[in-house]
Amino acid sequence: MSHRLSGPERRETILSAAQGLFASKGFHGVSIDEIARAVSVSPAILYRHFDSKHALYAAVLDKFSHQRQSYVDTIVNHGTRFEDALAGMTQVYITSIADNPDILRIELHSLLEGNPATLAFFQNRWKSFTDYIEFGLNEFLPYDIPNRERTILSAALMFQGMVREALIQKCLQPHDRLEDLDLQELSNELVSLFLRSIGINKTQLSRKATMTG
Amino acid sequence: MSDFDSELDASGLNCPLPILRAKKAIAALDAGQTLRIVATDPGSVKDFEAFCKQTGNELKSSGEEDGKFVFMIQKAA
Repeated sequence: MSHRLSGPERRETILSAAQGLFASKGFHGVSIDEIARAVSVSPAILYRHFDSKHALYAAVLDKFSHQRQSYVDTIVNHGTRFEDALAGMTQVYITSIADNPDILRIELHSLLEGNPATLAFFQNRWKSFTDYIEFGLNEFLPYDIPNRERTILSAALMFQGMVREALIQKCLQPHDRLEDLDLQELSNELVSLFLRSIGINKTQLSRKATMTG
Repeated sequence: MSDFDSELDASGLNCPLPILRAKKAIAALDAGQTLRIVATDPGSVKDFEAFCKQTGNELKSSGEEDGKFVFMIQKAA
């Protein structure tokens, strides 16, 4: 019994299988034949939808970029205070990764594989945070602190590493040694720690900023 | 006479910075005045549509000039 899929349905099925395989094995670990087998079509049929493995991989990334989380709602509704907007953005980002951890798996594979185009794609996703932190601290930090510029750049990197590690811990580790903290709570703790480390002594973020979603 | 009252260059910045800076710039305008924004993040097209829908300000135009995205937003009354 086989249900004949329409062109767009077939394309979607191939994309979804490819996403899963790239996430578990990386770009180089997967062949076109393997993807075709996973959706029970011949490689010839697959090539009707995607010219090459590169094109298929690019389409998977393109799908992620269309699912890109918008921070507009955070900025409009959480106010423009640095700490509240940062907490709101972080919630939006971690929720999107928790809903689709394949994005994180593909990002980690791409770091090891070192493909410049892919690295740029993922770097650009983090740029929302690093830009925001660099810009915010540039306004916020006193001008006379030593190594000001280095501090600002390092703080942005620290934040990126912190959030990515929390996501790895919560979305990819089979044994979660922080099981008493859920991802949202962990994220709020980390944002508070980060703020204290850069001199924003807020033990409690405003209620609105710590709400989910 | 230019057809905008204030201008914001958000080139090279990723969302949400262009939105955040636009929000601050619009707050400084009077009702009916227009802000021109230049951005390079392709996501800014959708973002400014959503921003205007949520804030009630009017997106008078949205287009591309010299490879950059240009938006005109009129502050709501």
